[in-house]
Amino acid sequence: MSTLTKVLIVLLTVASIFLCGIVVTYVASAENYKDKWQTLQSSERRARQQKDQITEEWNAEKAKMDEERTKLNGEIAALRDQIRGLNGQVADITRERDDARRRKENYETILADYNKTVERNTQLQRDAQKAEADLRAERTKLTQRIEDYIRALDVKSAIVMQLEAKLKGLTEEKAALQGKMDEFLRQYGKVTAQAVPAIAIREAARVAPPATDIDLKGLLAVVDLKNNIAELSIGAADGVEKNMRFHVTRDSKFICDVVVLDVEPDKALGWMELLQDTAQDKPRAGDAVSTNL
Amino acid sequence: MSPAMQSRGKKITAPDNLYTVILALALVAVLAAAGFVAYQCYTQYETIFKIQ
Repeated sequence: MSTLTKVLIVLLTVASIFLCGIVVTYVASAENYKDKWQTLQSSERRARQQKDQITEEWNAEKAKMDEERTKLNGEIAALRDQIRGLNGQVADITRERDDARRRKENYETILADYNKTVERNTQLQRDAQKAEADLRAERTKLTQRIEDYIRALDVKSAIVMQLEAKLKGLTEEKAALQGKMDEFLRQYGKVTAQAVPAIAIREAARVAPPATDIDLKGLLAVVDLKNNIAELSIGAADGVEKNMRFHVTRDSKFICDVVVLDVEPDKALGWMELLQDTAQDKPRAGDAVSTNL
Repeated sequence: MSPAMQSRGKKITAPDNLYTVILALALVAVLAAAGFVAYQCYTQYETIFKIQ
């Protein structure tokens, strides 16, 4: 056997063992594609089934969602209608609130005016109470004076009655004397002439025109007791008129009356009446005169 | 020439049976690999040559 044959045998053997090792290693480590294919196929089948199931579920959910959407759209429309109604109610309530605020402001204004009126009326009430107290004091004072006047009037009335009785007696005596005198003169063919008084008869009282409540006040300027004439310190410029009656007082005591006979711008002249008998109650200059007691 | 002389003058060589054994070993290796591959193909694909 030649050397070359031997070398070739050895090389062939080595190469065969090497290649067989490679092939065995490759085959041993190669994947099982059939199992892999079957595994993938079953996975695909399962995936398709899952897809179909998911698709059915999705369609069901979609239908359900559409139904829910339709239902929710109806509810949304109802809620929108409700919102519109509520907006209308809000507008009405807002208007009522504004009206209530305006009424409140008006009532506050009225209340403020009412409080002012109450304060004013309270002040007027205080003033009226004060005036009432003053009037009561004045009435008490006037009542006292009227009682004094009534007592004086009673005394004067008694005097007047005595004088009337005396005058009646004198009149009867005068008539008797007149009759005797007429009989006496008739014998000589004469009659008695009508008696004319030399001076004005002083009357105990004379009715004067009622004085209006003009409340004129002044003083006696000049007093003439001999002629019963007095001059007042006020005249036509103060409102004094003819025949106006003034009352003369001194320290709240009645002295006499003065009836105006003549009026000048700054003074007046009058006739004194109701003179008192006592000397200290005779009128004198400086006594107060007024139309009202 | 004597045998001693012949043994002294020739190179030492392996007998030819050795190469036969080596060649047989190579054949066994190839057959074993082919059998293993066939076994693997049958066990995995249930066939040896057919392509499904």
